[in-house]
Amino acid sequence: MKLNRRTTVMRIVAVLCALAFVAAACGDDDDGDTDAAPTTAAPADPAADSGDDGDMADDGDDGDMADDGDMADDGDDGDMADDGDMADDGGMADDSDMPAEILTDVGVDVENKVIRVGVNTDLSGAFAPLTTKITDGHTAYWEALNARGGIHGWTVEPVVLDSGYEVPRHLENYEIMAGSGDQSVVMFSTSTGSPHTAAIAEMLVEDDMAAIPLSWSSNWPDPEFGKNVFEVQANYCIEAMNGATYMSETYGDKVAIATFPGEYGEDGAEGVKVAAEALGLDIVYDGQGLAVRDTDLTPVITGIVDSGADWVWLTTNPPTAAQLMGGAAQAGFRGQWSGNSPSWNPALLLTGVAEIADASYTHSTYTVLWGVGEAEGMGEMIDTMREFRPDAPFDDVYIISWIEGYIATQILEQAINNGDLTRAGVLRAAGEITADLKGLAPNQTWSGDPDDIIVRETYLYDVDLSLYTPGVTVSEEGGNNGYRLIKGPYVSDTARDWAYERCVKG
Amino acid sequence: MLGRPNLYTAYRQETQFMPTWTQKSVFWVFMALLFLLPFDLPIISHLPIVRFLGDAEWLRPMAKVLVFAVAALGLNLLSGVAGQVSLGHAFFMGVGACAGVFLGGEGGEAFLGHGLPIWIWLPGAGVTAALVGVMVSPVAVRLRGLYLAIVTLGLVFLGIHFGNTSWGRRIAGTPGEGRPFPSLDIRLWKEEKPLVDVSSDGHWLWFDVTEGQKRYFAFLVITVLLAVLAKNLLRTRTGRAMQAIRDRDIAAEVMGVAEFRYKVIAFSVSSFYAGIAGALFAALSNRLLAFEFNLFLSVSFIAVLLIGGAGTTAGPLIGAFFVVMVPEFVEAWTQWLEQAEGGITGALSGLILTSGDDFGVINTAIQTPGWTLSVYDWNVVLFGALIVVFLIAEPLGIFGIWVRVRNYWKRWPFSY
Repeated sequence: MKLNRRTTVMRIVAVLCALAFVAAACGDDDDGDTDAAPTTAAPADPAADSGDDGDMADDGDDGDMADDGDMADDGDDGDMADDGDMADDGGMADDSDMPAEILTDVGVDVENKVIRVGVNTDLSGAFAPLTTKITDGHTAYWEALNARGGIHGWTVEPVVLDSGYEVPRHLENYEIMAGSGDQSVVMFSTSTGSPHTAAIAEMLVEDDMAAIPLSWSSNWPDPEFGKNVFEVQANYCIEAMNGATYMSETYGDKVAIATFPGEYGEDGAEGVKVAAEALGLDIVYDGQGLAVRDTDLTPVITGIVDSGADWVWLTTNPPTAAQLMGGAAQAGFRGQWSGNSPSWNPALLLTGVAEIADASYTHSTYTVLWGVGEAEGMGEMIDTMREFRPDAPFDDVYIISWIEGYIATQILEQAINNGDLTRAGVLRAAGEITADLKGLAPNQTWSGDPDDIIVRETYLYDVDLSLYTPGVTVSEEGGNNGYRLIKGPYVSDTARDWAYERCVKG
Repeated sequence: MLGRPNLYTAYRQETQFMPTWTQKSVFWVFMALLFLLPFDLPIISHLPIVRFLGDAEWLRPMAKVLVFAVAALGLNLLSGVAGQVSLGHAFFMGVGACAGVFLGGEGGEAFLGHGLPIWIWLPGAGVTAALVGVMVSPVAVRLRGLYLAIVTLGLVFLGIHFGNTSWGRRIAGTPGEGRPFPSLDIRLWKEEKPLVDVSSDGHWLWFDVTEGQKRYFAFLVITVLLAVLAKNLLRTRTGRAMQAIRDRDIAAEVMGVAEFRYKVIAFSVSSFYAGIAGALFAALSNRLLAFEFNLFLSVSFIAVLLIGGAGTTAGPLIGAFFVVMVPEFVEAWTQWLEQAEGGITGALSGLILTSGDDFGVINTAIQTPGWTLSVYDWNVVLFGALIVVFLIAEPLGIFGIWVRVRNYWKRWPFSY
């Protein structure tokens, strides 16, 4: 009896499976006929479309859109306002006789003239303390832009979703925002995390969408890998080349390296090694991948102290940097320190390593810093933050919020001028612009050979305890996070001569 | 028998796959619901909760529920049934994912891979993990309880370290981006056009199905199969032996249960499930990322068991749904409250939400300087609180609550 029952169950399961397979096999899997995007101008077939992209970049415009040009110049809201009734899927892509209108698809609320941009970021995971600030600043940017009238009368609504720094949730958010619901977006102004952005890189190409990553990996400029990922500023590898060149010119040839294991640590260490090779530096201690967070760092400290290095390059986080600097100083090390931007945080000036950092740390980063450099964008940022987030802490991360905002704004502006606010249109616009970052960081473009377009400039700052004003908010005058500008924008010979390749290898 | 659900006249009757008529009908109703969920059908799409779970944006969390369910079923066999505490489940998942990508992934200069079809790489993922499980299991004979937990914990770190070595990278990919994971397409061998295309939108029978729906169905079929197998295992000689070891290993041995043998079996079967789940987990992201198979993942499966109820088959399934979906529900609910205007929901929104200095618990601002937390932070708090509450108040998990509710109504109106 028992046997019988078991076979019955197994039979049911077998029938179920068989049904599923039959169901699967019966269907034809033609991509073409199931793609339901009536108003998109983009071809549905990804293969065909990647071919198109190439010549789009060259001609700037497709034939039927050439006559949009004069309309874009007027840019007045008058004739755009009556676009309202174009919202329905009337098939305007087919109708080439139509007067110049703004092509739209998902991610845009034509009736209310709202463009949605995606912010797929970490609000509760490992980097939340940093990324919530960046995201908050970024939403303040859009609030201010909308208050000033938006972009050619269109307001921009950021759709913020939390990934918790988990790849599956990042993908989940991506699917929501890349879909066609009321949280759909035309582009991503933030995609936080290297692995997370890597996981969506191919989907971005399939969906014809552009993303600005919150990640400074040296892999993004590789078109094989990050075709629709618009990396901002110099990557960790170039940053380390510049830093190492400056440090060796100033303090000597003997260098020690201490970095995290993993992609970030390798990017930094590889940059120093490129510089060492080019300049004939002596790597007296190679602690690449040996500085593991939350572990006993004594072996690394001993290595640094015994090596007699003139200076040390760190690719770590601030607590690990503090442990290494404090430990080495106690053991009698008197060399200089520098490292990739995330290795340093001004809050370390409130800890026991303040004196050492004051005397020997050179901070490297990608932008001008608050209270140190003058720039048009800096003025705009300070005014806006004071108006929209008066109680926010005085923090340099808002500069990143602003840079992302400027780039996204200029991409959308170009897309509106082109008369094409579809995802493909926004992507094309992103390839056309040269982003004007208003002095916050070097201007940047994304079309062309990686060697010609990657940013090679970084900024070097001397950490100065006497300038540090802890605990101030954005509303107070005279704040400084303890920096004095040494040089920047700075391109070392090493970085200038370096032919682009990925620094992190498989 | 219909009217006397608890009257058993033979042991075989009592150990049937589904002894009562209620269980059978509930099983089939659930099956039907789960399979029809993604489609826009007249009645099903109007049931509460079910009506939106089938939507495109909820299908990925649902697929994640299924992956978690498979992994939790495996851990349940080891920890819930055989009583061997393991924090190394994520490691076995990682082994499965690596084996899957080694067999099914595209090889090349940077990566090792053989591009074999899914019917090889998916079972291969499970079998490889099971073999590693067998190698680890002798430790379980020497150690128990906390000590075994610590040893298995060590496996997770070994795994992450292996993924980072130059040799490990040829399989697991670079630390930052991992490597692409093979698609779920079913091929006979390495032919160009798959027999069943699971990785792009298409048409099955008389339905248009999206890629997300296909993935969901594939995962659902695998999960149902493995759940049935797991449930069945409990009624076999092996299942009874494992339970005997859990309840008292020395007593079990005295009764003639070969402790070593059954611990090895428990480890290998559990690792097999973990290996399959690991491969599916990577397939869900289309990408193998070694660092994802970390301690936190192991801990979430412990949470799944604690919340769902260890030792049963339904427990891990309920727990997986709960652990994956509750944060999603809380977020969706907050969003819904945020948009509410007027009426009861509006008032509720005023009470619960805050954007600054006004009264409220959940802060809708992105940066929350005060004592109120954002919904994302609340979710983290909720996760921890749930584990504590369930351990203290309901050690049998949600399944235990269900049993109590059932027993109450069974004796109604004389229940007390």
